Amino acid sequence: MAEQYPTILQTAVLGTAFKVLLWPAYRSTDFEVHRNWLAITHSLPLKQWYFDKTSEWTLDYPPFFAYFELFLSQLARYVDPKMLQINNLGYDSWQTVHFQRATVIVTELVLVYALSLFVQSTPAGSRKQSHAAALSILLSPGLLIIDHVHFQYNGLLYGILLLSVVLARKPTGLLPSGLIFAALLCLKHIYLYLAPAYFVYLLRTYCLGPRSIFDVRFSNCIKLGVGIAVVALLAFGPFIYYGQIEQVMSRLFPFSRGLCHAYWAPNVWAMYSFTDRILIYAAPYLKLPVNLEAVNSVTRGLVGDTSFAVLPEVAPRVTFVLTLAAQLPALAKLFFRPTWDNFVAALALCGYASFLFGWHVHEKAILLVIIPFSLLALKDRRYLGAFRPLAVSGHVSLFPLLYTPMEFPIKMVYAVAWLVIFLMSFDRLAPASEKPRIFLLDRLSLLYIGVAVPLIAYCALAHELLFGERYEFLPLMFISSYSAVGVVGSWIGFLVVFLTT
Amino acid sequence: MSPQPSSHRPRRRRPAEAGSSNGAITTTSAAQHERPAFPLVAFFWPIKGANITQWVTLPCILMIAFLFRWCTALWPYSGYRKPPMHGDFEAQRHWMELTISLPVTHWYFHDLEWWGLDYPPLTAYHSWLLGQVGSFLNPSWFRLYLSRGLDDQGLKVFMRATVAASEYLVYVPAAVLCVRQLARQSNINIWEASIALTAILMQPATVLIDHGHFQYNTVMLGFMLTTIASMLAGRPLWSCVFFVGALGFKQMALFYAPAVAAYLAGICFFPKLDIPRFVGIAVITLASFAVLFLPLLLGTAYDTYRNAPLPADAVTPPLLSAIPFSLSEKVWYYPYIFQLTQAIHRIFPFARGLFEDKVANLWCAVHSSGIHKLHNYDSALLSRAALGLTLASILPPCALIFFKPRKELILYAFAATSWGFFLCSYQVHEKNVLLPLLPMTLLLATEGGMKPSTRAWVGFANILACWTLFPLLVKDELRIPYFVLTGLWAYLMGLPPVDISAYKLSRSEGGLHIISKVIHFGIYAVMVAWHVAEAALAPPENKPDLWVVANVCFGAAGFGICYFWCLWRLVEESGILYDMRLLKRKAQEGKKMQ
Repeated sequence: MAEQYPTILQTAVLGTAFKVLLWPAYRSTDFEVHRNWLAITHSLPLKQWYFDKTSEWTLDYPPFFAYFELFLSQLARYVDPKMLQINNLGYDSWQTVHFQRATVIVTELVLVYALSLFVQSTPAGSRKQSHAAALSILLSPGLLIIDHVHFQYNGLLYGILLLSVVLARKPTGLLPSGLIFAALLCLKHIYLYLAPAYFVYLLRTYCLGPRSIFDVRFSNCIKLGVGIAVVALLAFGPFIYYGQIEQVMSRLFPFSRGLCHAYWAPNVWAMYSFTDRILIYAAPYLKLPVNLEAVNSVTRGLVGDTSFAVLPEVAPRVTFVLTLAAQLPALAKLFFRPTWDNFVAALALCGYASFLFGWHVHEKAILLVIIPFSLLALKDRRYLGAFRPLAVSGHVSLFPLLYTPMEFPIKMVYAVAWLVIFLMSFDRLAPASEKPRIFLLDRLSLLYIGVAVPLIAYCALAHELLFGERYEFLPLMFISSYSAVGVVGSWIGFLVVFLTT
Repeated sequence: MSPQPSSHRPRRRRPAEAGSSNGAITTTSAAQHERPAFPLVAFFWPIKGANITQWVTLPCILMIAFLFRWCTALWPYSGYRKPPMHGDFEAQRHWMELTISLPVTHWYFHDLEWWGLDYPPLTAYHSWLLGQVGSFLNPSWFRLYLSRGLDDQGLKVFMRATVAASEYLVYVPAAVLCVRQLARQSNINIWEASIALTAILMQPATVLIDHGHFQYNTVMLGFMLTTIASMLAGRPLWSCVFFVGALGFKQMALFYAPAVAAYLAGICFFPKLDIPRFVGIAVITLASFAVLFLPLLLGTAYDTYRNAPLPADAVTPPLLSAIPFSLSEKVWYYPYIFQLTQAIHRIFPFARGLFEDKVANLWCAVHSSGIHKLHNYDSALLSRAALGLTLASILPPCALIFFKPRKELILYAFAATSWGFFLCSYQVHEKNVLLPLLPMTLLLATEGGMKPSTRAWVGFANILACWTLFPLLVKDELRIPYFVLTGLWAYLMGLPPVDISAYKLSRSEGGLHIISKVIHFGIYAVMVAWHVAEAALAPPENKPDLWVVANVCFGAAGFGICYFWCLWRLVEESGILYDMRLLKRKAQEGKKMQ
């Protein structure tokens, strides 16, 4: 088997060079959040980690992430000890910036490793396709924008997720896969959204026999159960010992936040809010009652919770029921046909469900969908058809994260170059599907992709020229509504393809 | 074996998807298994032989090249928060406010001390245009006297964007054209030409100086590229226009002038005398100069008409007083002569020293290495020595290109001439190394250009040039972009200090001569050791400049080797040795016959 070029390593070198050049770029408050966590874990005893309120950016990730920060802070001591002082809020000497940026790049090696394992584990016949998918994830504009400009550690976290997913491809890797996923949950609990797929897949392939679902393999159940318990204890044990588990949980799950994040993630609730906005103007004609308080407060500022003027309010419980309901069809199919491909599809669909219907979803969570879906996008042309609008809308929805003029060309040109290169090479690599495709959908998705150009031009330039400072919520609303259409469309497309295959 | 002159070589027409002629692919002998010769080729591997139009690959190359440029631009620029004088960024900003707020007649007279305008008129017009756009966006960026040393973030974005825009309007299309012409001339397929184009656009020295340090060199270099492209396309008149453009943007294009003139003259005399062409070239060149100065002269006419006074501190340009005959102030053309002589006086500061700061050329190396302290000598003597040595160094390449004005010799002649200028002439800046690098790097797009025998030399010159720029870049706090961009380029081209595979081939397989290998490894080892020493050790107290001096000396030595390499390749390719041998043999045969 000839080697694929460019190799993952070559691509990683190119990507790393570019990411190092991004060091002085804009960074969001997440940079200060992580610096503060370095300081907390380094200078406070473990007992106080989840109680400290010196900074407004309190520790709200699970304990493994705190241990990770503790480990980084041991290195940070040699770089600039001042960044580890708890009262040194907003400290950003160049040593601090370079150190923190460098840790993001170095920990991303986990992703590089996971991707090369993924390519190696693919059967030779479709290795070319998985190689292209791996490169697309490695160079993903999502990771670039969120990790290397905005500042987070998603490269590490998604690397661990992919490692676990790839291990699950072989029967011998099922137990390590489950344990690694458990560890991932203790690093960042957003991956709980994917847990149902893991639960069903491991239950079916590891805990139950291959022939009958009544053939329970007790030794495997015990191994997995004990393993997960040990991982959980390693993470939460110290806090249970100090009796702080309630405090930790209240930090991890702050239900006081609103339905939509300040900037609406492109999901069902964004469409719901958009409809509500429209209805405010239509209400007098339709004789609907309008909540005046909501009219004056909604979406005016960048920070604040959305509430609705015409449509009924949405309770957290409703979103949970909807999320689970949306996950059910995929999980049911996975339960009856527990193949690895179905597992990855179920992961992507769980990601979709939680992104579309979840409570207080961040736009960054779109990676929960894009990254698992990328592994399958080249399965055949129908999958690719569903992937295309997601690739466009998912990345466009991340653009508002970077709003400074210097970073504008970076996010635009990078995303456009990525879309051109990868969508074209995917197009050439994806095999024809066994079942006929619906061509109308392809035309619609082309139209959809085409609309992105004038939309972005409007939001970036025309809006300010036309309205100046007024209606500054409009561009954001357009982008998130536009992206929501793409995400929902690709979700429906993917669901249809998955359930009919 | 006698070196085959390329004109005698049989040419084969190659279809677009034919195999490698340029050395981008290596074949392992065991299984005839093709693989990329160096990592940059690997990135183009998926589209090898594929039916993909240039309309897709070219924009992708340009976007990626842009991303690296723009990210370099995120870093500090020269003189960022460095009062009192700041740096090149402030100079360019000042020229913008100067040209938009003063009448044309004042441009070349205004305050020399605060970054007085000392570039040719095209730079002034360019500044005027950018100043107009900039002050439309935010007038406070360009208020004469008031905006000095401004480090507003918005201003930085605007200025960085003007560099990128100027480059993408001039240099980038010019590079695309030029590479296309070169590829056509040496029968290189589109795929390999794209790889060469990427390598040329990713040249670290150019990116670091223009987008890091802050200058507009690429405009001048872009005009030079179009000059070369027009010569290759057989349009000498256009090349005159573009070359005047290059000269009119930055006087440093004079480095190329002797070779350009020699080639253009050569094509009028060989193979047969072509008087109309000669006249055409002369007329077009003069006309281009006239157009170049026209806005300045029109502005002068307007100011004379409305009796706008000259600045109070304006003195008669020394050049004007040096004219042998006396000129009455009353004659109508006096103001024009006055302006032109002042512009020329500003553009060519004859009164400055032999070299400024530290630059890796002959004079600075000789002086600062302590071999011979030059400040004991009279400056007139030194400048005469510089002139003599420069002439001696450029004479061989210029003579060759004059007597054999062939297209495939252009790059070697231009490279050798500009290396000669860089090493021996007067008033050279370290940034001027970009000039010889340009034609040398273009060699990648010629026949066999990516085989180790050429690629290693091109890479050697580029990496050495970046290394000599390092002291300047450290001042601008561009240490990290330097390592990233230079290291990345070396990696992509498969060259030391990252990769030594290019040096494994023997001479017969398209590799380097053993002497070249020894020289290259020696200098690469010095560069690496120098970086280690510079980072880890403080220089001894009595020699605070030790590292910089070492840099200058080894840099000058390496550039000297590059000069001789270009000259040797020029001699080899011109077939002059072959001709001489032929003559000798004929003479001998003649004797035998007798």
